[in-house]
Parts: sequence; C-alpha cells; structure tokens
Amino acid sequence: MSDSQFPSPEDFQDPLENYEPKTYEDPLEQALAEETVSAIRHEPYVRIPPDTPVQAAVEKLAGLHVACLLVEQEGKLVGVFSDRDVLSRVAEEYDQLKDQPVSEVMTNNPIYVYETDSPAAALAVMAVAGYRHVPVLNLDDQLVGIVSPQRVTAFLHRYFA
Amino acid sequence: MGLQENIQKEPVSQLALREPVTAERGTTLREAIAKMREKKLGCTVVVDPDRKPIGMFTESMLTQLLAQNAVSLDHPIEQHMAEQWPWVRLTDPIADVLEAMELKNVRFLCVVDQQDRLVGLTGQKGLMEYVADHFPGQVMVQRIGGKPYPQDREGA
Repeated sequence: MSDSQFPSPEDFQDPLENYEPKTYEDPLEQALAEETVSAIRHEPYVRIPPDTPVQAAVEKLAGLHVACLLVEQEGKLVGVFSDRDVLSRVAEEYDQLKDQPVSEVMTNNPIYVYETDSPAAALAVMAVAGYRHVPVLNLDDQLVGIVSPQRVTAFLHRYFA
Repeated sequence: MGLQENIQKEPVSQLALREPVTAERGTTLREAIAKMREKKLGCTVVVDPDRKPIGMFTESMLTQLLAQNAVSLDHPIEQHMAEQWPWVRLTDPIADVLEAMELKNVRFLCVVDQQDRLVGLTGQKGLMEYVADHFPGQVMVQRIGGKPYPQDREGA
C-alpha cells in the first residue's frame, strides 16, 4: 500500500481476475446464449403498407408462398398478416373483407426481437409466447427481417452436424 | 446428454403432442375452418372410420384457395386436402420430426401408433418447445418484447 490516502493503481485488485467464463457442454447452448439473432437467417422478408387491400395481401401470401407479411408504415413495424390471420379473421367473410385495408385484420403490435438479442430470445417468443414468426428490428427500430421456425430449424441443424 | 444425442435417442412420444382437429370425408371446408379457429390450430387431419389419416388440410392451403378466388367453402374437404402427408410413429426418434420438417417443408406432422391410427400432432411448435425445455437457463429466462435497454440515461 502506498503512503497516500488512496491506494495506488498497482494495489488495485481486479474483482474479476478470478472470474472464469461460463463453459457450455453443448455447443448449441453456447450459440443460443452468445450468438445474436443475426446468426439466424432473417432475410428475405416481405413488407406491405397497412392500406394494402386484404385481397392483395392474401394474393401476396399465396403467390410468394410465405406464411407471414410484415406490415410497415414509415419504416416502423405496425403489424403482421399471416396465414393464421387469414384463417381466424378473413376466410369466412372473405367477400366482405377483400377490399378492406389489411390493417383491419392484421395482428397489431406483434412481439419482435432485436438483431442484437440472443437466438434464445427468438426461440422464447416461439416456444413460450407461441408466435411462429418473429420480426427482427435493429436498434433504430427499423425492420431488418423475420425469423421463422424453418429458419430456426436450419440454425439448430448447424450444431447437429 | 447433449441435445443432438437426445433427439436421436428420445422417441416422438416425449414431445408435447397436440390434440388434432379431425374431419371425415364429406366435411365441408367451412366446418373444418370453424373447428380450426375454435381449437386455434392451423390444420385439419382427414381420417377414415378407423382414425387412420387419409389427408391434410392446412391454413396455408386455405390461403392458396382464397387467392384463386374460385372456391366455395361448402366444398367437401377431400376436394382440397393433400393426400400425401408425412407422418411419424410415437416410437420414432425425435430426429425424424426435425428431418421431415426440414426436407418436406411442413409445419405439422401426424403422429400415429403401431396400427397407423392418428394419436396426435406435432411439428414446429412442439420442436421449439422441446429445444426450449432442453435449455431452460437460456430460453425460459428471456425478456419477451420491448426495448433491450433504457433509452434515457438515469441521473444527471
């Protein structure tokens, strides 16, 4: 210890010097914890404005063979429109709804993840909250993609080689 | 035991199977859709009188039909179902579910017993739940939705 009333930098004891980083037995567990959502394929994705007619949105889902469209207004995510919305809100009244804007029947305020979140966060939205498609945003809240169960499955497969 | 080893060894019966929505020939699309909505499930398995699967109708098929704009919901379901659909047995390894979903690009798989009778449904959601259960320390503790950190600094 130096004579000064304050300890010298040489006397400083790093509280983390004995810290041992967490070790993982399973490489997938490590990836779920330490990678980011960006490690899961999240492109391509399809965006539509909220005033898109329901019929055009249904045709886009069918024509592109995708299960979910991201509804975006001025760069911000405002909803999703998926096969499940077609089943739940559209199919039985299709003739009455097909000219209405998709914002009338989409799922508002979908749960999303940030691209910097861990892959485990995307998995939690699917397995715990029960949503199959998880929009991905950057930290400026701009849409950058969507994670689907197929894409998570492909991510898992990388660790099963 | 690692997840890879588990999915090779553990049988499909270890997955949380879902109660399927079923229909018989002659059921209309409208009736099937109403049941799918009620059960919050994206498919109907068409079965014969012995409960053996003979076809599948999914919500993505419904989207395709609506986009063609030429379908009546009063059509019988067998006119629009897929007759070839992958299935697994209760005793098959979970790896078979993963493989079928990836190679055949399906969301749902019929689960049948040794007599080929339908006993449940599995698929993407069941598999995600299985992985989550395997790593609860990573998955079950996640914040779901919202900002990753405060936008404004606290203090001065």
